[in-house]
Amino acid sequence: MSDYPVLTVTTFLPMAGAVLLFFAGARFARWIALAASLATIVVSLPLYTDFDKASAALQFVESVDWLPDWNIVYGMGVDGISIPFIALATLLTVLCVGVSWVAVKTREREFYAALLVAETAMIGLFAATNLFVFFVFWELIVIPIFLLIGVWGGPRRVFAAVKFLLFTLAGSVLMLVGLIVLYTTCDTLDFRELAKATIDPDAQVWLFAAFLAAFAVKVPMFPVHTWLPDAHTEAPTAGSVILAGVLLKMGAYGFLRISLPVLPDGVAFFLEPMLVLSVVAIVYGAYMTLAQTDIKRLIAYSSVGHMGFVTLGIFTLNQGGVEGAILQMINHGIVSAALFLCVGMIYERTHTREIKDYGGVAKVAPIYCVLLTVFCLAAAGFPGLNSFVSEFLVVQSAFATEGWLGVMAIWGVALGTVYMVWLYYRVVMGKLNPGLEGMKLELGVREVAILAPLVILAVCLGVYPELVLSYFHEPVKALLGGAP
Amino acid sequence: MNGATVADLGLVLPELILTGMALVLILVARRIQSTSVPVVATVLAAAAAVAASWWVLSKEPQSAFGGLITVDGYAQFFKVLVAAALALVALLSVKGLEGSGAPRSEYHVLLLLASVGMMLTVSAVDMVTFYLGLELITLCSYILVGITVDRPSSNEAAIKYFLLASFASALMLFGISITYGLTGTTSFSGVAASIAERGLADDPLQLAALALIAAGLAFKIGAVPFHSWVPDAYQGASTPVAAFLASGSKAAGLAALGRVVVIAFGPDSPALSIILVGLAALSVAVGSVLVLAQTDMKRLLAYSSIAHVGYAVMGLTAGTDAGASATMTYAFFYVFMTLGAFGVVIGLGARGATLDGYQGLASQRPGVAGVMLLFLLALTGIPLTSGFVAKFVVISSAVGAGYVVLAVLAVVCSVVSAFVYMRIAVLMYMREPESPTPARFPVTLSVAIAIAAIVTLVGGVLPRLITDWAVAP
Repeated sequence: MSDYPVLTVTTFLPMAGAVLLFFAGARFARWIALAASLATIVVSLPLYTDFDKASAALQFVESVDWLPDWNIVYGMGVDGISIPFIALATLLTVLCVGVSWVAVKTREREFYAALLVAETAMIGLFAATNLFVFFVFWELIVIPIFLLIGVWGGPRRVFAAVKFLLFTLAGSVLMLVGLIVLYTTCDTLDFRELAKATIDPDAQVWLFAAFLAAFAVKVPMFPVHTWLPDAHTEAPTAGSVILAGVLLKMGAYGFLRISLPVLPDGVAFFLEPMLVLSVVAIVYGAYMTLAQTDIKRLIAYSSVGHMGFVTLGIFTLNQGGVEGAILQMINHGIVSAALFLCVGMIYERTHTREIKDYGGVAKVAPIYCVLLTVFCLAAAGFPGLNSFVSEFLVVQSAFATEGWLGVMAIWGVALGTVYMVWLYYRVVMGKLNPGLEGMKLELGVREVAILAPLVILAVCLGVYPELVLSYFHEPVKALLGGAP
Repeated sequence: MNGATVADLGLVLPELILTGMALVLILVARRIQSTSVPVVATVLAAAAAVAASWWVLSKEPQSAFGGLITVDGYAQFFKVLVAAALALVALLSVKGLEGSGAPRSEYHVLLLLASVGMMLTVSAVDMVTFYLGLELITLCSYILVGITVDRPSSNEAAIKYFLLASFASALMLFGISITYGLTGTTSFSGVAASIAERGLADDPLQLAALALIAAGLAFKIGAVPFHSWVPDAYQGASTPVAAFLASGSKAAGLAALGRVVVIAFGPDSPALSIILVGLAALSVAVGSVLVLAQTDMKRLLAYSSIAHVGYAVMGLTAGTDAGASATMTYAFFYVFMTLGAFGVVIGLGARGATLDGYQGLASQRPGVAGVMLLFLLALTGIPLTSGFVAKFVVISSAVGAGYVVLAVLAVVCSVVSAFVYMRIAVLMYMREPESPTPARFPVTLSVAIAIAAIVTLVGGVLPRLITDWAVAP
């Protein structure tokens, strides 16, 4: 084991980088951000090398009294469910710095500082072992994302930023009340202690609803998903990547950390509505995606459906479904982040996101199109690529739970193939759009290097999903063992 | 109960320091009117008062002057807070009074004397000293609000404030006299004992007295429905005076309310709970909703202060020691965040007076916009700022006492008010500037803002430093 508090260092190193940015010249901003995000990966390495996959317990546990009068502890620790998310967050931040390298030209210091603070919040959230710390990071991430969208975003950025902020704040304050009620009834906020506590079933229903408000907005579940298309579309590429790659997972992670273990009666009460909302999100999301004419908006809407698989998997409450859901989160983090990166890269050259302005891109940018092919196929759930495995697991569990859920999910998968292939067809195939003539659309070395890790991950996880699945076998078993 | 002794004077050392400095400044007023002596003297006196408050309480809690005041941890906490607020307001006044024509020396004397009143209020354990302290604050405040005599709006605000506040004082005095008539004593503990002994808790006359005293105090802290003077007074007064009213005065009023709740009328009085819950709910709701409509920064901060007083009172609704210490924490953090925000408003001069002035500030003065963002986040209650810790402890107290609906109302209102705080953030960060870059802030102002920012940040990251010390009487 390493001799430094791995989680605390990993969590706060990016923030230290953000502070450092303000003392450095704007010219060095991106270098400092790159160094800080790479260093974060380096210091987090013990998490993977020293982690014991055979245990469901929290590891690398740190605990310091924070507000002793109120029995509130600063607690950090990870289990197999949190590790892949921390890996995803640290990796995507580096890629975000890379993709913003030349794209961000105004107020660079603030931009990279916001990005790094967001990284701190993401890592901290997944490493928290008690609800208070969880909530602190949950709220903390809102501000940098709000600024990323509102300052460096597209034409309707202010509207999108404010909408994002109000939706998430409205959800999270109800969680705050739920948190405080839990705290006053159980006198602790530690996840492990809370899971053991007995809470009145009626109270659990209310508490579940309070937490649902926060989680549903973040996931986002139908019908509170409307902030997502606006936020994703208007955000700068790095912002979209963080939003799609990690932020959306926070809600589903909350279900796994709090709702399932702590509020089993609440889960039982809301089980059917949750399943129904999940399949509605899958199917409705897919149809909405089909109707989009803006590439970024299209990918944003596809997230609604993909996250529907996540909530569907979680609320099937069986091993395969929950593992599939977690894997789906990771896969969606990889694939939709990659798609947003692809869109961002070509947008920098063409300054249009309308699908009709593209066409025949394959003729001028073969490398770009090969990479895009992999990601589009992955998003469509093509066998051999990562999303296939997770969608398969979820659909299988859905069938096991209730036949029609499986049918709806399959319907969603089919529509997913349609919109991805159609998008691909309209952008890549056919005659070169006259508007694109004379543009250098092919990717540079830097951009290929940014997409390379994601391609490798998409293929590896498609071929050998056990690479990630092995982390959460035990914790999921423990999680479901606790639930009725 | 025995008479006062000379040794008792040692216990009021902070008050004596401030009073002494006030007298010196009055004596030499004409010679130092246009110099920086009054500011320096006030800041020094305030710093000495902080140190003295600290030193006086390194001993056991004790009462003085025949049980008229007490010097305990609670009083110490608020005395340090009041003195710190005084120092910061004095620093803000250097720039804030520029060109206002206010007589500097008298201005600082009034600040000092009002602070003495606050200190007296927070250590009072007797209705008489309690009333005297509050009146001293209010009398000085009338003049402070109207001290910029050349501005009609200032005079108007002072007259409005005077009329309403005198009425409130009369109500409170009436309540005190009824209580005295019923219980035969003016000391808080005596009143509590008498109420318990003679079963006066449900006595209509006693309830009326309680309501009158609570109304008077609600007026002093600007809680709804006794808030109507607040926006007018803040807007009419010069900005540092508004900052003073929002910080020290509120803290002292809350401290007094806390003592009355916990000691005199007892935590178990259902009538008192109803009054406090009502005040908290109304203040939070009305403040948060009306703040949305404001475009003048001082009025905006005034409505914001009304909502924040509501949150602070939520802690007291529990009637427990933990609740009282939650309110202490809230008051402490709120004083610094609001002083910081006022500091930025002052520093931006005419541009800072309206919302539109903040447009594009982040690209012109990123540092100023950054600290303003910090204060706005704290006022909203976002984690890692002191505002979140403060909200967490008071809402926890309310939920602990069973007021879950109040807690839900409070958090919903915090989202409503987030809209206006974030609108300022949007203006600062997401719009292009329309006015020229503001001048650099003077050192005094920067120091004051920096102190406020440090407390706001440290309070969010290491709240123990304050909460461990915020112990109920």
